[in-house]
Amino acid sequence: MARIHLGEFEELVLLIVAAQTGEAYGISVLNDLATEADRKVNISAVHAALRRLEQKGFVESAWSKATQARGGRRKRLFSITQKGEAALVQIREIRNRIWGRLPDLGQNLGFS
Amino acid sequence: MNSPLPPEPPRWANRFLEWFCHPDLLEEIQGDIYELFDLRCQAIGATQARRRFAWDVLRSFRFSTIKNFDWLITSDMLRINTRIALRQMGKQKVFSFIKIGGFALGIAACLLISLYIKDELSFDQHYVDGDQLYRVVAHDSYQGEAHANVFFAAPMARTLLADYPEVVSSARISPGGLFGGGDNPIRRADRDEVTFDDGFMLADNALLELLEVEMLNGQQSDALTEPGSMVISRAKAERYFPGEDPIGQRMLINNNPDQTYTVTGVMENLPKHSHLHQVDFLLSLSEVEFWPGEQGYWRANNYHTYVKLRPDVDQAALETKLLSIIDNYYIPSMEAEGITDAREQSKNLRFSLQPVEDIYLKSGDIIDLLPHGDIRFVRLLGLVVMMILLLAAINFVNLSTAKSANRAREVGLRKVVGSRRRELIGQFLVESTVISTLAVVMGVALARLVLPFFNGLADKSLAFPWLSWWFLPILLGLALVLGVAAGAYPAAFLSTFKPIDVLRGSISRGAKSSWFRNGLVVFQFTTSIILLIGTIVIYQQMSYMQNKQLGFQKDQVLLLQATNTLEGQVNTFKEELSRLPGIDRVSISDYLPVEGTARNSNRFISEGDERLIAQYWLVDYDYVDVLGMDFVAGRNFSPDRLTDSSSLVINEAFAKELGYADPVGKRIERNGERTIIGVVKDFHWRSLRDKIFPVALSLGSSPGMMSVKFEAGKLDALLPQLQALWDRFSPNQALNYTFLDQQYAQMYTDVQRTRNVFLCFALLAVFIACLGLFALSTFLAEQRYKEISTRKVLGASNWHIIRQLSQNFLLLVGLSLLLAVPVGWYVMDTWLTDFAYRIDLNWSMFALAGGVALLVAILTISYQTVKAARIDPVLYLQR
Repeated sequence: MARIHLGEFEELVLLIVAAQTGEAYGISVLNDLATEADRKVNISAVHAALRRLEQKGFVESAWSKATQARGGRRKRLFSITQKGEAALVQIREIRNRIWGRLPDLGQNLGFS
Repeated sequence: MNSPLPPEPPRWANRFLEWFCHPDLLEEIQGDIYELFDLRCQAIGATQARRRFAWDVLRSFRFSTIKNFDWLITSDMLRINTRIALRQMGKQKVFSFIKIGGFALGIAACLLISLYIKDELSFDQHYVDGDQLYRVVAHDSYQGEAHANVFFAAPMARTLLADYPEVVSSARISPGGLFGGGDNPIRRADRDEVTFDDGFMLADNALLELLEVEMLNGQQSDALTEPGSMVISRAKAERYFPGEDPIGQRMLINNNPDQTYTVTGVMENLPKHSHLHQVDFLLSLSEVEFWPGEQGYWRANNYHTYVKLRPDVDQAALETKLLSIIDNYYIPSMEAEGITDAREQSKNLRFSLQPVEDIYLKSGDIIDLLPHGDIRFVRLLGLVVMMILLLAAINFVNLSTAKSANRAREVGLRKVVGSRRRELIGQFLVESTVISTLAVVMGVALARLVLPFFNGLADKSLAFPWLSWWFLPILLGLALVLGVAAGAYPAAFLSTFKPIDVLRGSISRGAKSSWFRNGLVVFQFTTSIILLIGTIVIYQQMSYMQNKQLGFQKDQVLLLQATNTLEGQVNTFKEELSRLPGIDRVSISDYLPVEGTARNSNRFISEGDERLIAQYWLVDYDYVDVLGMDFVAGRNFSPDRLTDSSSLVINEAFAKELGYADPVGKRIERNGERTIIGVVKDFHWRSLRDKIFPVALSLGSSPGMMSVKFEAGKLDALLPQLQALWDRFSPNQALNYTFLDQQYAQMYTDVQRTRNVFLCFALLAVFIACLGLFALSTFLAEQRYKEISTRKVLGASNWHIIRQLSQNFLLLVGLSLLLAVPVGWYVMDTWLTDFAYRIDLNWSMFALAGGVALLVAILTISYQTVKAARIDPVLYLQR
């Protein structure tokens, strides 16, 4: 199994793209980052992460139809690829396995 | 919809984005940022939104988003362009030589001057605690004239330390000749041989730590604490005690057993870049009293005072606090002597703290009798060298554009086959960088070649810092910057040619930019003429100083030094010396009207109870005659009158200050009552920079120097006899002599230096300007060969054609003269204000400068104009 090179921020962005099922673009990801993860980043950081994910083949993109908004400019809509899904699943499995080895972590760390 | 226009994001940011952003990414990024902008306009208002928009754009400027620019210069192009540049140079050898040579000259000058300036700026930068070290300066004004000096009373240093917690340590020095500093005859106690040496200075022990003197032997903390102890430099230790341990050795100064010093330390030679670099012998000031009570006396100022402050002290605040010294010490000590208006007299007195690192360059009007540089001279040189570099660069621009016609066809063809303007600019920039690199290499070689000569001129020992890490990168950077700067205009100009014009041949060959080129020629000649004016004025001031009626005769006077070691025999020696053939008269006195001889400053009280400050010089009966001074009233001292031992001869300045119509016979108080018996004409006993101040001559003994007036032409015969006589009286000491006129000239070595430097650079500037003019005239003449041929065929004379070709250039030089005169006038008039006795500027100086410039210009272009006038018309009309 090939190693997956995915930074923490990239992973988060990938997850959001997957959750938005084909409707993800720069600003929607930016908003989710702010509301779900309480992370305020610059739009350029989101663009950069999306670009890297696309280069790695985890997401693919397509142009939306042009609308009145955005001065007639199209959106680049991102959706997750199979490779991307596989990567997310794999990461989750690795994490779950390791979590399983920590007995009563919830209590010790004060989670309810 | 009639709602107001929606807010727009900042135009510049949007443009920037569109400029740099890769087209594949632009739509997405721009769209998102626009959308954010619209959202924010509603949420936080248009102003904030605009700011955030710009920020988003800037943040999006990433390596991954920028498009692929066609960089101006790729490595292939660099190689090809370099080759083209070299071919171009080969094709036009004279032109290229002038271009590169002129540039190289400018760079060489720039390098040398930069080294000089760097050297001057590096004085006293070597102290670890440099920012805490200060010298105390006293400012006062006397009869409306401000002056500043560094001389303080003996208790000043210890008072500063005791009364002010800001002061960590304080130390005094006394470098002057009055109390044993300067030059002295010295010998080892166990040898007979006496050497006349210099670099003596009296100092407190605290000075060693304060100025961070590096000790090779002995301790900073106590080397000078013992009375009669002495610290010598490594150089002197090696000279006097080669192969021996100098510590504990005793040395005699002035051959006087009372002035026996014990060597208690050896210091490393003081750094070349210390304001005290000339000092080699430090004599302890411990328990020294110049006269009884002197150490507690506040009214005799003989010491320079240095202080080291705590690191965080506010200098200005401390200077204000120092004023209380006047109230606490100055005024009480004056009142103790019965001076009733002490407060009035010291109302203008102020103290300031001068950083030690400023002493060498920025002492300006502060009198301290130490050798100095001059920050103004440094700045002036910096300006001059920038000018010369600019001139050289202008030549380059000028020649490149002038030759543009030859390149126009090339540019046209390149454009036709697809060169873009950007690539052409790249090509020309590479070309100019190649040339500037060659010029830098040549300039460095040239500078290295003339460095020894320049060192002699500037009285320095400069060297190229080849091994410093920054030196070669700076040279490389210089080549690049100059190449781009000088190539920018020609590149922009040449690359604009339209192929269709050029290839049809309709471009007027290089004539387009004649306005610009003429402007550059004018600038070059203006600069050259200003430098010429400067040189001429300095020359004239110099010769004025050398030929001025000084009030004494400086010629044919030989000065014997260190004669005090003759002790009791000094008068016998004088008598025997006077009897030698060829000798007119001999006088014994340390006080002479040239700098570097004895000076003092004393208070006199007139009959009307007026106080005045004057020099008090101890002389003998022959003094006035040897120096050839003239009396305006009264008479000289006479051996036949016993009362003359308490009489005074004063100068006119003294008489004027006294205010009597006839001062002869008046009495004056100075260590008892004195009678004025004569008034001598004012003589220049200081540099001509300064006014003549009052001097009083009194009979007395000051046996350090002997002035010998000899008959003209008898010197060669005289010297062997003098040597023989000296050896008979003083077999263990070498004869030391100099001449009064030489000493006089030495007072103006700095002026001489300024003059030489100016002369060199003026010549250089003229030369560079002429190179430019020569090349330009060549080019313009060649362009007009066809026209000239036609004129000749129609009957124009050679002379007519020469005039035709010359008049334009001469007009330019004339215009330059008009521009240069006011600037030159202002600058040199400012320079002359330094001199109390000075020449006045007059039109002849400017005429001379203009004449020289004009003549040189005519000579430069004549080669080409004459050549053009003598062409064979057939050759050019056939084409």
